[in-house]
This record gives sequence, structure tokens and C-alpha cells, in this order.
Amino acid sequence: MSATDETSALASSGQWSWRIVANHVAILAGLLGAWEIGARTGFLDPLFFPRPTDILAGFWRLYVTQGNIWDHLGLTVAEVLTGFVAGSVLGIGLALLVGMSDRLRRYLKPYVIISEATPRIAIGPVIIAAFGFGWTSKVAIVMLVCFFAPFVNTLNGMVNVDENEMDMMRSMRASKWQIFRKLMLPDALPEILGGLRLAMASALGGALVAEFIASNAGLGVLINQYTGVLNMASAFVCVLTLTVLGFFIFRGMEALDHWIVFWSDRRRTEQVSRRRARAWSERMEKRT
Amino acid sequence: MSAAVYTMLGRGVSAAKHLLVFVAFILTWEVAARLGLIDTVLLPRPAEIAAGIVELYVEKGSIYRHFAITFYEAFAGFVIGGGIGLALAAGSALSASFRRYVAPYAIVLNVTPGLALTPIVIAWFGFGYSSKIALGAIVCFFPVFVNALIALTRGDEDTIEMFRSLGASRWQTFMKLQVPQALPLVFAGFKIAITTALVGAVVAEFSQGTAGIGILMQRYAFALQMGNAIASLLSMSLLGLLLFYLIEILDDRIVFWRRDARMAAVSRRRRAKWDVRSNKTST
Repeated sequence: MSATDETSALASSGQWSWRIVANHVAILAGLLGAWEIGARTGFLDPLFFPRPTDILAGFWRLYVTQGNIWDHLGLTVAEVLTGFVAGSVLGIGLALLVGMSDRLRRYLKPYVIISEATPRIAIGPVIIAAFGFGWTSKVAIVMLVCFFAPFVNTLNGMVNVDENEMDMMRSMRASKWQIFRKLMLPDALPEILGGLRLAMASALGGALVAEFIASNAGLGVLINQYTGVLNMASAFVCVLTLTVLGFFIFRGMEALDHWIVFWSDRRRTEQVSRRRARAWSERMEKRT
Repeated sequence: MSAAVYTMLGRGVSAAKHLLVFVAFILTWEVAARLGLIDTVLLPRPAEIAAGIVELYVEKGSIYRHFAITFYEAFAGFVIGGGIGLALAAGSALSASFRRYVAPYAIVLNVTPGLALTPIVIAWFGFGYSSKIALGAIVCFFPVFVNALIALTRGDEDTIEMFRSLGASRWQTFMKLQVPQALPLVFAGFKIAITTALVGAVVAEFSQGTAGIGILMQRYAFALQMGNAIASLLSMSLLGLLLFYLIEILDDRIVFWRRDARMAAVSRRRRAKWDVRSNKTST
């Protein structure tokens, strides 16, 4: 379903050997070399293709000699993290509440569909008009962007509980809380995590768009300023920074998924059950 | 017979209930806003929104032009981005080494938030439609590419074996087996991509633009005419639904074998055509 889920499938599809790595490096070097030469001879428009060496120099300038990117980067990351945590907690919490009641779920469904079709970032100007140009409006936009995917996925996960398992829990006289804690929640977790990944993937974009619309600090503003004066090399530096940031965010979410939904991976399952068995036997020993 | 009547009755009752809930919700909102419990700058009264809709659609009629422009931008972006995605996916499915050397760049493009490129794309393509289309294409390229690639490479080994044993060429296997098998998932990718393309077009309009629903909404929001701003936002939802159903209809037409009724209709038509042709050859 989600694009981020499948990136890992794409990445793991090839086998790696030193020859393939060497080929990759050669291709990359060839591309960059052609780019550099093309830009130097005026064959490539420097507006579209700033020279790779210029971009490298830009990295050095922005990060070391001027060091002006750090504040903007920190601000954007803070916006993303705050908005993501607030939005996803709200989304998951609300979905868990709603998911407990059949009727509520039924009446909410049309509204969820409509809000799904609305491009969420599109509400940006309205929020900026309401909350002003500062920190609050950025966090509010990221929150909104991060709210829906966890909400919808959690709701879906709660709805798609296996009826037979539900009957079994009921016939063993499990309380409503026990059914929720032992059946519905673990069943829904993979999907909830999928929603979180989607949310995180769009959070960065949301923060940037909010900064583009109206702001005075943040990476989005920096990109806007640099392209405004047609300093493309520096703008590319910011974008490449975002690429690295996006990559780490993606890896981080993957690790979180791996850690929480341990039963999707056999090795992790064995590891966790071994640990649990040990804890259990220690407790039993203490008791005797 | 009576069962059918009952289900129809049940559907009517549930629709009425939905309507009732909706009306109650709107009324509470209106009353709360009038009592000053809700900040109307943040969330205008429903009556204001309705007035905005009437103004935009009936009195001024100004929205249709913007609506058409944004539709065009999003759709063109989708066609370009989706086309590139499909072509790369087909190449990657046909050749493993092509896939190996293209995949890393696709991943790099994916982890970069495409919307971050907005100012750069505008510097490249100017303030007109082309920059919006380009951003839409950049943003919607990846879902199409990844879905198509996964769908094309996920072949059933037994069926492939059978194709091979019947002496099918590589191209025949691709066209008759891999492509039809991949189509449902490809369309799922299209559905994600077309809404993403809309987001790309709208965001580019926010940044720089003279026409389109995004710019219309931004103008109203910054003039604090929230009723009209929300009305344009709702039009954007409508646009999103419209684009989505466009793909859904195409999906229904092209992937006809997924629904029984469509399947029967298409096979009947093909059968008729076949009969006509065989009659011609026999006489």
C-alpha cells in the first residue's frame, strides 16, 4: 500500500558483491564527471545543473565556514518531531476510542473518506491565517498531516479483527479490556506502525510546505532564499541534507517497526520468546 | 423479493440516520459558533461556508476556471510522472541489471521529500503551468514506479514455467502474463499517485501562481475570508474525489476480470465478435 513499505523491498532485491558495488561507483563517478564537464563547458545550463564541485563547496560553506544551516535544520527537525508525536498520538488515541464502538465507527466513516480525498497540506494557508506565522502554525500543520494516516490505519486494524478469534476470547470469558489488550491491539499493531511510517514520510514535506508558505526560519525558508537569488548549488545542498534526513527517518521508522512488531520476523520472535521464557522461569524459581 | 425490499428499506433508514447525524452536527456547530464557543476565524460558521459556496459557484462563478486549471495541472503531472514511472518499471522488470543500477537513484528520490523541490522547480520552469505540472510529476513518480515494479516482478513460478514450456517468447510472457497480472496493483499505485499529483500542483500554486484552486484558497485565507477559503478547500476535496474516481473507472474498464459482472459482459462481447469472425471465414 504505502510507498515507504516497498522501498525496503526494492533495496533488498539485489545481491551485493564487490563487482556490483564497483560498477555502481563507476556509474556514479561517470555521471558526476559528465555533469561537471558539461557544466564547465557550458553545455549544461548551470541553472538546472549546478556543478558537483560547487555543490561540494556549498556543503563546506553551509556547514563549516558559515555554519548557517544548523539553526534552520534544528528548527525544521523540531517542528517535524513535535508535530509528528502530537498528531500520531492524537490519531491513534482517537481511533482506539472510536474503534471500541461499532456505531461511532459507522457514522464517522463518510467524513474520514472525504478528509482522505482532501490534500492535507492544502489546508496550510487556512491554518497559517488562524495561528499566525510562527512556530505554532508549523507544528499544527505537521500535526494535521500526521493525524490521518495513523487514525485511518488504526481504525482499519481494529475493524479487521478475526471474528473466530473474537468468539474464542469471548467463550473463554475474556473481559472487554482483555480482548482489546490481547487481541485487537496486537492484531492492529502492524497496521498502526504502517500508518506511523506514512505519517512520518509526509511530516517532513508538511513542515517544508508550511515554511514555504510563510515563515522566517527553517530549511524551507533557506531553500526559498537561495533559489530566490538563483544560488542553485546552495539550494541543492539543502535538498541533499533533506535526503539524508529522510533516509535516517526512514531507517528509524523501520527499526521501530522491527522492535515493536517483533513477531513478523522469525529470528526476533525467537529472541523475544527466549527472553520472556527466561524471565518467566526466574519468577517461578523465586516463588518456590 | 421481500428480502430485497427489506434491504432497500434498511438502506433508506441508515441513509436517513446518517443524514440526521450530519444535520445535528452542523446545527451544533452553528449554534456553538453563534454563542462564541468556537473561534470563527479558525473555523467559520457552516452558514458562512454555505454562503461562500454559493458565492463561488453561483454568484461569481469564478471557481470553475481555477478548478479546471488545477485539474489540468494535476492530471498532466500524473500522466508525465506515471509514464516515466511505468517506463522505468517495465525496463527494470525486463532487465535485472537495469533494475540494479536504477533502483538506488529511485530510492534517493523517494526519501527526499519531493515538495522540498518546490522553489527549485519554480526557478527552473517559471511561474506558469509547467512548474506545477513538473512538481506533480516529481511527486507522483515513485508510487507508480514501485507498485508497477513489484507487480511485474512478482510472477507465479508455475505459470511462468508453463509459458516457457509452451514456447512463449520473452515478449509474449511479458505481455500476456506479467502485464495482466500486474495491472490491479499498478492501478492501486495510480490511485495513490493521482492524489499526490494534486498535492504537488496545489503546493506549487501556494508558492507561486496566478490561477488555480490553491492560489484562490490562499488569497481568501490571507484576506481572512474563512468561509470562502473553506469553500475552496471543499472544492479541492471534490477535485481529489473526481480524480480518484476517474482512475477507479479506468480501473474498472481495463482490469475487467476482477468484477464478475464486468467479466461476463466483456467475455460475451468478445465471444460475439469471435462468432462473427468465424462465420465470415466459414462462408
